[in-house]
This record gives sequence, C-alpha cells and structure tokens, in this order.
Amino acid sequence: MSEKLKRRDFLKGAITGTGIGVLGAMGAYSYSGARKALFSKAERNMTDIGTCKSVKVTNISETSWFDNQTLVGDIKGAGGLLVDQYSYNWAPFGNGTGLGKGSYADGIAMIKQYLPHDLDKAWEIAQANSVNPDNAGGYSCLLEVEELDGNKRKFLLDSGWSYKWMDECFKREGIDKMLENREIEALFISHEHFDHYWGLPVTMKYDPTITIYIPEGFYPEGKQYIKDAGHTGKLIEVKNGLCKQIPGMASYVFPIPIICRVYGEQSLYFNIKDKGLVSVTGCCHQGIIRFAETAYKEIKYENDQCHGIYGGLHISPFDDWDPKYDDLVISLERYGFERIGCNHCTGVLCAKKFISAGYPVIEGTARFRSKDKAYLGNGDTITFG
Amino acid sequence: MERFGEHYLEERKLVKRWSGPIPALVSLLLTLTVFYATWWIFQDPRGLMRMYTPYIGYMYCRWWLIMMIWMVYIFDFWPFKRKWLETAHPLVKGTVLTLISVAILLALVKGFFEGFLGNYGLAYFNPEQLEKLDGITSFFAAEYSALAILMFAAIASWLSPAWVVAMENAPWNKMPQPARGFSILTITFFLSTIVYFVTMHPHMGILYHPWQYFTSIAPPYWEKFADTVSGNFHVSWIMCCTVVVWLVETIWERYPFNLIKNNWLRRFATFFGIILIALAMHFFLYFAQELTWGEAIRGTRRAFSPDWRWLHVGEMAIFFLVPALFLAFYCDNWPKKFSMPVNVATRTIVCLVAAVVLYIAYYKTSHLFLGTQKGFSHPQQFPMIPTIWLINIWLAHHWFMDNWPAWKMVPKTAHEIEADHNAARARIDDIRFTPKFVTGIGAGLAIGVLFYVVTVWALPGLYEIIDIIPKN
Repeated sequence: MSEKLKRRDFLKGAITGTGIGVLGAMGAYSYSGARKALFSKAERNMTDIGTCKSVKVTNISETSWFDNQTLVGDIKGAGGLLVDQYSYNWAPFGNGTGLGKGSYADGIAMIKQYLPHDLDKAWEIAQANSVNPDNAGGYSCLLEVEELDGNKRKFLLDSGWSYKWMDECFKREGIDKMLENREIEALFISHEHFDHYWGLPVTMKYDPTITIYIPEGFYPEGKQYIKDAGHTGKLIEVKNGLCKQIPGMASYVFPIPIICRVYGEQSLYFNIKDKGLVSVTGCCHQGIIRFAETAYKEIKYENDQCHGIYGGLHISPFDDWDPKYDDLVISLERYGFERIGCNHCTGVLCAKKFISAGYPVIEGTARFRSKDKAYLGNGDTITFG
Repeated sequence: MERFGEHYLEERKLVKRWSGPIPALVSLLLTLTVFYATWWIFQDPRGLMRMYTPYIGYMYCRWWLIMMIWMVYIFDFWPFKRKWLETAHPLVKGTVLTLISVAILLALVKGFFEGFLGNYGLAYFNPEQLEKLDGITSFFAAEYSALAILMFAAIASWLSPAWVVAMENAPWNKMPQPARGFSILTITFFLSTIVYFVTMHPHMGILYHPWQYFTSIAPPYWEKFADTVSGNFHVSWIMCCTVVVWLVETIWERYPFNLIKNNWLRRFATFFGIILIALAMHFFLYFAQELTWGEAIRGTRRAFSPDWRWLHVGEMAIFFLVPALFLAFYCDNWPKKFSMPVNVATRTIVCLVAAVVLYIAYYKTSHLFLGTQKGFSHPQQFPMIPTIWLINIWLAHHWFMDNWPAWKMVPKTAHEIEADHNAARARIDDIRFTPKFVTGIGAGLAIGVLFYVVTVWALPGLYEIIDIIPKN
C-alpha cells in the first residue's frame, strides 16, 4: 500500500474517530454529575436597598375578568395567545368591527376626548363598540410602606382594566380621595397587559400629575396611551434590572416576552426589618421562583429570609394546568416563604394545591366578586412586618 | 408488476435548468415565498386562520410531515402508478399529492384521534370530552387535545422514517406495495403507541387535578433524573431522534453504519445508533444551555425551568435539520468529491455553522415577521412550528414536485441506475479497516474528546460575545 493510500486511510479513520469521540463525550459527560463542577457558584451582588418597618397591601381588585370561559373564548376566537392585545377589540379600544379586528388607533379615537374627565361617557362608548366589555375587571393594589421612623408612604401598583369597575373599586377602598389629596406618590405599572394597564385613566381622573413608572419594553401604543389618558406628571421608563425606590423598597424589571404581545414586567421587592424579603407582583410572568432567585443574587435582605409574597403568581391564570406548574408547587418549599397572599393569575387550583402542600397561604374573605377564599380577595389586606 | 414509486426518489435524475447555484437560490426564494404566504394563511397570529395557538397549528404541522413520510417513504407513492409519477407535470403532482396528504391528515386527526380514540378510549384526545370537565375552557380543551395528538406525532415522526432508514423496511423489504406499506405502518404505529404510553401519557395524566394515579404513573418516573415532571424531557430526546434519522439518511449517507456487512446487524446498529446519537445530542444541548444561561432552577418559568430547557433541546436540534435538508434537497448533498468520511464531516460542519447562524437570525428577527414574540422562552414561542412548516414545504417540493421549476425530472436509465449502485458500493468499499484506519480512529477519538472539551470551555464566552437577546 502506498504512503498516500495509508495517509488517506488514516484521515478517514481520524475523521470517523473524531465523530465518535465527540458524540461519546457528549453522551457520557454532558448530563453526568461531574459537569456540575464546571458551574460557577452564583455570585451575590448583595445590593443594599435599605430596610423598612412594614408594608401593608390593600387589594383594590384582583378580579381582572369575571368569567374565564368568556375571556378565553375571546382569545381563542381572535387567534390565540399570541395575538396583539390591542387587536382583540376589547374595551376600551373597541371599534365596532368585532373580535380580532380592533386597533389602538381606532379605539382611542372614539374615546380620547373624554379622557380622563368623563370616564362614564368613555366607557359607555367602549361598551357599545367592544367585545364582552362587562367581563372586564382589573388588577390594582395599594401599598403602604412604613419607614423605620414610622413615616408612611403610599404607592399604587397597576390601575386595572374596566373604567367602571376600577372606579367603583377605587371608591370602595378610598383610593379616589387618596389620589385627589396627592397622598399616593407614584403609580407602578407592572406590565402592559389590558387588565393591569388599560384602566389608567381611572387613576388619571383623580391625579393626572402622579409619577408613573413603566417597565422597559412597552409597545408604542402603550406609551401613547399614557399621553392620551391625560397624564401630565413625570413618566419614568425603568430599565431592565434593579432600581432602588425608597429605603427598603426596590423595583426590578424582567425583560420577558408575555402573551398577547406584551414585553417586560416590573415587580417590587421590600426588605422588612427583622423579617426578610417581601415580593409584590402584578402577574409575576417571570415566575415566583425566578423572582426569589433574582433577589437572592441581587439584594441583601434581612436574615436572608424570604418572608412573604403578595400578588398574582401567574401559574394558571385561565385555570389551565401543566405539569411544569407541579414543579413549582413541589419546589416552592425550598424558599421558605412565611406568608403567601396570592390571587389573580395564580389560579384558584394552584392556590388550593399550595394549601394542600401545607404552604402558609393567607386566605381571604371572597367578597366583592372574588371567587374563592383560597385567594386574598378584593378588599382584603395583608401586612408584612 | 407495477412498481408505484418504489425507489422513485433514487431513480429520478434531477437536471438543473440553470448552472451554478441559481437553481438552489431560486428554489429557496420560491419555497420561502410559499412558506410565508401559507404561514400567513394558516399559522400567523395576525393572519387568516391563526392556527398558531400554538398547539393546534403545531399538531397539524407535525402530522402533515408524517403524512408525507407515510406516502413517500412507507407507501412509495402507492396507489399512484410509476408512469404518472414520471410524466405528470410537477404542479399537477404537487397539487394532487399535497391535497391527498392533507385529506389523510384531517381524517387521522379528526377521525382517528379526536373521533375514535377521543370518544371511545382516552378522553384527552377529544376537546369536546375535555370541555365536559369542570373548569376547563374550550380554548384549553382544544390545546390539551392538540398537545396529546402532537406528542404522538413527535414519536411517529421519529419511528416512521426510522423503520425505512435504519431497518431498511425489513422484514417486509421484498413485499410489494401496498402490503409492505401497511405492514410498516402497523409496526411503526404500534411502536409509537408503546413509546407514547411510557413517555407522554404520564405527562397527560398529571395535567389534571387530582393527578390520575389510577391510569398513569404519578409523579412520572423520570422526575428525579430530569428534574421535572414534564414530558418535555421526552420531547427532547425524541425530537433529537427525528433529527438524527434525517441526518443519517441525508448528509451522513448512513455512514458509518453502512460499513456493516451483516444485514440484521447493520439494521439494528443503525436503529439503536440513531437513538444513542440522539441521546448524546439531548444531553449536550441541555448542558450547553447550562453553560450559557446558568443552571436550571426547578419550579421557575421560562428560560430557567428544566421543562423548557428540555423543550429547547428539541428546538435547537431542529435548527440543525433545516440546513441539512436544504443541502440534501437543493445542493445535491454537496460535497461529493471526497471520500465518504470527508464528505460527511464537511457537510456536518457546514450544517452546524448554518444551524448556529439560523438560530441567531431566528431569535433576533423572527418576531418581526412571523407574528411571534421576541425572546427565547415565551410559552407560546415554538420555533419548531415555522421550521417544520418550512421543512414540510421542502418535502412537498422535493418529493412531490421534483424541485420544479429549477430542476427538471428525467428518469434514469437502467445503466445510470446500475452505475449509481456501483458508485455507492465503491464509496463503501473505499473504507478499509487497515491498521492506518484503526490508528486514525484512535487519534480521532482523542481529537473528538479534545474538541468537546474545548467547546465546553469556549461556549460561555462565545455566547457572551454574541448576546442574541436579553437572557431572561
């Protein structure tokens, strides 16, 4: 055999062997326990956000919609969960053309002149032109942060959806007066979803000058709505990551894609003196465990303890289920939360699974159209600290 | 005896109408246009039918792929006569065969799964049965049902072609059509059912509250190993199997399994070799995510949850299949001038690079034109749908339409067919187990392991440099 042939045989063997070697190593090592030695231990930034004495959350409304079948039927009819929320033809942006054929421009043109001073008229028009307007509710809560010196500061998280429903809820909890009296410092919008954000004019009606914090990732329609809703105050677009607000309170923006063409969610952290970390969320699309893990990595908090959670935990918002949600129910134990106030998009089924698993769920009173006592419902309060 | 489409694909000569890369580029442009038009009509959330819910669109997409595999690989185009295949205009053939594939698809999904199985066996195959359950909305009833049906499809899309590619149609390889087709269909469907019951059925069994302990193993047996109770763990390796089957069939030319002379040994080695390669891919692509994004955290959502990471393994694998099929269908499986190992290695490297480029381009831009969401891990973001949709169009174009209009189909003469067989034999005979070859294998093994080590070392840094989109 010539040298050339021998070299060619060697080359063929070497190439074949390389393939086998790569595949063999991939199979043998990639999921072995030994691989974990390569993972760097998470470095903790331990950012000091200060501490506060307590935070009280008043649930203004957690019922974003009143009938799941109706809402999910609309989603199905319009083409599924990826369809742009402004095209569903839901109130207040209905244009009278039917499900899945709406647009922000058409919808706002019909009501803009009434925002925010005549919401009754605006909603009446929206009702006439929208799909299932009476199914709209909304999500919003009041946060009262007590500083270490006893000073109390108030913030709103989200402004709900239906003008009519949210106005009723604001009046029920006295939010209208607080806004009129400028007692509430700022409105944090968790994300651009209809049920958290489209009720913005209700807040504007009582205090158009309020400072608004929105997360990075809003679409152009969402940003335009702030202007169209009559806002005259300061608008702050919070960049992805941690943003300190006041001692013991910080927001965190997660750059995550969300159904109905929404991007990015802002959630809140509180560091309660001698208690630990409290997480308050709108929908928590990033996942409560991701939220807790991010806090662990980024923030220094009391006793290194996850003390409490409040809000929608976005597990089964439409009472749907998936085995990955069971992963959450099984895994949440590791984080040692001491008080859990869940509602909204958590899913009643999930709240019940939490209770069955022995987690410290603070049950509610099921008033004002909240569905079940497993939820911390409308008008209920929870205090951490 | 009528041969129908037996060996039709090997015995057709596709003659380029223009020289150089023009036919490939024309075909790419044409198929991408058809892709986008049909995407808008059927799948796009902004389009006409909006089937990308996502599971309904995904279900039809997966099963359409299998329908074409059944028609071409398992049934050899039966009942269409060879004469018709060779003389009908590609547009006529494409239209007729595509419509038939869709008709069988609808009969299977609506008739067999939803109508028969869903009404008389397993309720979760039928949305109407699910809607009878308390609290289940019609949307999720349809989604759950579609999920179950498409999970079956995932398995069938591996096993159906595997029986032809790996098992070489044995033991029915000498049987005429349609008896051979029905035999293979029966065995692959049977095997798919078994695999479904031990992989996907336990996933469906815990989809409801309370867990269905009496009908499925709950929590599923893979929980500790996979760090999740989700069936996505199986979707991952099964998807890899599907991809590897086609790599073996196209750019790898069944190498190195074709070196085995003993028929049954070769068949089993190929069948199980595909699974082993798929498992290697399955574990490595999971590991690659750990290296770039960090360890998964059980219970969380999106890019950090183990269940999504397993799903993403399958998604990454499919990005590899797209360039492989393009190379095979439109580039005449370039290159062919070297020895088989060198050809195979060159194609593999080309496809790997193309897959990485496609992956980056997809996640950077697809949300701008597909109506999907920006980001890696949106629960409704399924890159497998557009990629398989494109593959389906390529299969219809390549199998049903002979790459028309950039190529013209001319039946090979008996002499050409014989020459092809001789060339194929010669390529195999060219690989000799000489001492140098064996030494080469030894050296190659070391190089392969070293390459793996370097890849593992370099991946985190490379990912940081590329930074496709924010990592949450």
